[in-house]
Amino acid sequence: MPFIHDPEFGDRMITLMAALVLVLQILAVGQRWLMGNIRIFGLQSFLLAAIAGTIAFFNHANHVYIVALLTLILKAVVLPLILARLVERVGIQKEIEPLINVPLSVLISGCLTMVGYVVAESFYHPEETSGVAALGRNTLAIAIALFLIGFFMLLNRRKALTQVLALLSMENGIFLAGISLTYGVPLVIELGIFFDVFVAVMVLAILVYRIGETFDSMDVSKLRRLRG
Amino acid sequence: MIVILVKSGLQLLLLLLVAPLISGIIKTLKARLQTRRGPDVLQPYRDILKLLRKGMVIPETASWIFSAAPYVVFVTAALVGLMIPMTATDAPLSLFGGVIAAVYVLALGRFFLALGGLDTGSPFGGLGSSREMTISAIAEPAMMLAIFTVALSANSTNLSEMARFAESQSWRFLAPSQMLAFAGLFIVLIAETGRIPVDNPATHLELTMIHEAMILEYSGPNLALIEWGASIKQLILMTLLVNTFFPFGLSSNWTVSGLGLGLFFYLLKLLLLACCIVLVETTNAKLRLFRVPELLAVAFILGALALISTFLF
Repeated sequence: MPFIHDPEFGDRMITLMAALVLVLQILAVGQRWLMGNIRIFGLQSFLLAAIAGTIAFFNHANHVYIVALLTLILKAVVLPLILARLVERVGIQKEIEPLINVPLSVLISGCLTMVGYVVAESFYHPEETSGVAALGRNTLAIAIALFLIGFFMLLNRRKALTQVLALLSMENGIFLAGISLTYGVPLVIELGIFFDVFVAVMVLAILVYRIGETFDSMDVSKLRRLRG
Repeated sequence: MIVILVKSGLQLLLLLLVAPLISGIIKTLKARLQTRRGPDVLQPYRDILKLLRKGMVIPETASWIFSAAPYVVFVTAALVGLMIPMTATDAPLSLFGGVIAAVYVLALGRFFLALGGLDTGSPFGGLGSSREMTISAIAEPAMMLAIFTVALSANSTNLSEMARFAESQSWRFLAPSQMLAFAGLFIVLIAETGRIPVDNPATHLELTMIHEAMILEYSGPNLALIEWGASIKQLILMTLLVNTFFPFGLSSNWTVSGLGLGLFFYLLKLLLLACCIVLVETTNAKLRLFRVPELLAVAFILGALALISTFLF
């Protein structure tokens, strides 16, 4: 297979996988089942790991392989397991009730994707024909869209746990932007980010558990009862 | 003229033979995945043969529409089957507007099926027809948007042209917009063929049934025609998915060796798609009827995004 080493083929594969991540993000907005949401997050992280692996392969950047492996282990396996266990332990209602109804939410996500494309357009310089510039076009747009949709999900949901999931998908967007534009920042920074996300999820998991214990609910609007 | 007839005959034969096989494969794989033994792959053929030999009961209140509907369903499905490229990039027939005609000839079949359900005046039939039309009204725009995405990049609504363009582009054809359109069309496939998140194909004992509620009054050869037509429609939609988005292995001419290779790849792609459908059916629970529009809204947005992103870039 001659095209295996064609860099253009690599770019195309990366854009395709990024598009798949976007599809999953829109599905996550439409998904009402909490476990389904966690699985979608795991699948998204798996695709991100695959993107990182592809970038490492086509750019001969060996340290990105480590990033890909870490993403695969931490974000595609460990985090979904922790979250799934948390759902079991807190024993909350497994259906998500968004503030805005689902068809409208999906429509808004579509508009946010358009915003992502428009914003990415301004970063695109057609006179630079290098692979990075061409890749930035679609992948950066998708990364911005992921971030915006994640932010929208964060606002749209009441339960603390679903907000954690939204936060994680926002982080996925940032990861995609970072890895596809720079072809891998130095490993130390990547490790720092991973550690950060991991600790954040651990802390949030404990927090969510405590909220569930104290208020018998994970609805963050109930936290107002703390007032004097 | 003779050439078109021969080509049509070959494709019709393939269509009629493969359609029940795909239904059988999906049923068997699904059963195996749920650790049941399940029916044989050939069971749909036996069902159709058995039904064709039985007598039929036609309700007293039924008019001619009730008897005509199965033939319309079957003939429209078979006609559309001749308009799509299956093993070769050139379909035997290309009528009117290509893919637009294909979608709306299928819609004609569905319209008559819904009329047939309403015709007997049984409450179940009316219920099924109303649900079917509701779902198809939302699924159709999503489907058209997804197909237009491919048509735009091929600059033609002719299915053969689209397949030829996609085939000549090889892997360069795969763009993000194609991915979005594929995802949208996959959801439409699930909805149109009455698969699990939308409808349950395995039972006609549920109040939530859609397809089965419409055909509850049919029996014997009429039922066989409807079931066969439904499996052909499913095959057509699956073919549309695999051949317009993954045109690899399509033969560019009608020679024996080319067709043989084309057939092999075609069946392989269908098998892979069937595996995807089985996975979706097994891992999902059936949606409440009022939640179905939410799923189709996702398909619609994916289609719209696909179309807009082809314009943007």
